[in-house]
Amino acid sequence: MTVTICVGSSCHIKGSRQVVEQLQELIAGENLSDKIILSGTFCLNKCQQGVCVTVDDEFFSVSPETVSSFFEKVIKARL
Amino acid sequence: MNDLTCDIGYKSINHVGEQLCGDHVEIVEQEDGSTVAVLADGLGSGVKASILSTLTSKIISTMLAAGLSIEECVETIAATLPVCSERGVAYSTFTIIRIIQNHTAELIQYDNPQMIVLRNGENWEYPRTETTIGGKQIFRSLIRLQEDDVFIAMSDGCPHAGIGLAYNFGWKREDIIPFMEAMSLCGYTARNLAALLVDECNKLYGGEPGDDATACVVRIRKRVPMNILFGPPSNRDDVERMMNLFFSKEGKHIICGGTTSSIAAKWLRKPLRPSLDFTGDIPPIAYLEGVDLVTEGVITVNRVVEYAKDYLGENKSYETWSSGKDGASLISRLLFEEATDINFYVGKAINPAHQNPDLPINFNIKMNLVQELSEALKKMGKRIKVSYF
Repeated sequence: MTVTICVGSSCHIKGSRQVVEQLQELIAGENLSDKIILSGTFCLNKCQQGVCVTVDDEFFSVSPETVSSFFEKVIKARL
Repeated sequence: MNDLTCDIGYKSINHVGEQLCGDHVEIVEQEDGSTVAVLADGLGSGVKASILSTLTSKIISTMLAAGLSIEECVETIAATLPVCSERGVAYSTFTIIRIIQNHTAELIQYDNPQMIVLRNGENWEYPRTETTIGGKQIFRSLIRLQEDDVFIAMSDGCPHAGIGLAYNFGWKREDIIPFMEAMSLCGYTARNLAALLVDECNKLYGGEPGDDATACVVRIRKRVPMNILFGPPSNRDDVERMMNLFFSKEGKHIICGGTTSSIAAKWLRKPLRPSLDFTGDIPPIAYLEGVDLVTEGVITVNRVVEYAKDYLGENKSYETWSSGKDGASLISRLLFEEATDINFYVGKAINPAHQNPDLPINFNIKMNLVQELSEALKKMGKRIKVSYF
């Protein structure tokens, strides 16, 4: 599974760094790094909904506050 | 004209307790592509010395730039300088470095410590001829320039550094030479070389300089062109033209901006691979075959502008950007240290996402950034060309 996080200007200001770091921690904590590939992207043209995240090309809007529930509900559900 | 250029930088420290510096450096560029740098050291310190040295360096640089002879300059100075009421003399020493169309250096020295010339990183005792103008003993030299030549002019505050403190007779010229020889090969800019020398003097003075000390460094180097793409064009039909112009130019290529780099990637038909390495608070950089550096846009460039202003002023962030691995540090090193000629390709497209009032970025800020950055780079002596799309 590929999880892509936007690191453009807008999403950066909205906290893409925290989202990436929390996801990295969660993935490492559950030993899922061989199953999930984290990658970055520039603008997905949905800046209003940032931080923009795609999971295998499906779009999600995530914020630093919702990362853990996003990880549980979306990422783990799809493994 | 050859492909050499000169990088000039200087730094002064004041006599302890003085607000004004009695040394003055004046740099004038002539229309024919020659550059004149004058370092003058006024008698004494404080306001009188400052007036003397400012007048001297301004008069010499203006007259030489206008094509008048050194004899006329010296006579004018002798006739113009106000006479000190305490000492009954009007006196300011000077060192002139005139870079003639980047192929020859003319050195004219009067009573300042003898200029140090480093060639291939080693001291070179260049030939000097002595002449007397208006009773003043003046040394002149003509030197054919080579790449990496470094000229170091100093006021006497440099070799006097540490008298009675660190050394009995100060930091002698023959001891300054090996210090600068070692530094000259590290790729430091002229500004940083001057700062290294003067900061060392300040240390030897124990932080309380007994005299104004100034170093002016001229570094001869090859021209290095560099190109920056910043923002997508306001009209989509101009993408082809903008990319063609940008990628056809000689030198390194830097792209700032997420959307901009996506457009470039599409044009190059190569994948854009953003990294997730966050170093500091600057968004991560990306990798794109055929482009030397890809960064985020406004936030990164904003930081570069901050570094540029600081470099021209107090130079406090040097240690941050000279070693940092984030986008802003990488751009700063390329632009401030490596490039001599910089072409900006600025797209004026308005990013709808940036018009959100909650965000601290908008179109005007972007255009201001380009303006501020190009002005700062000009002050560093770079040739700047900005094209808007």
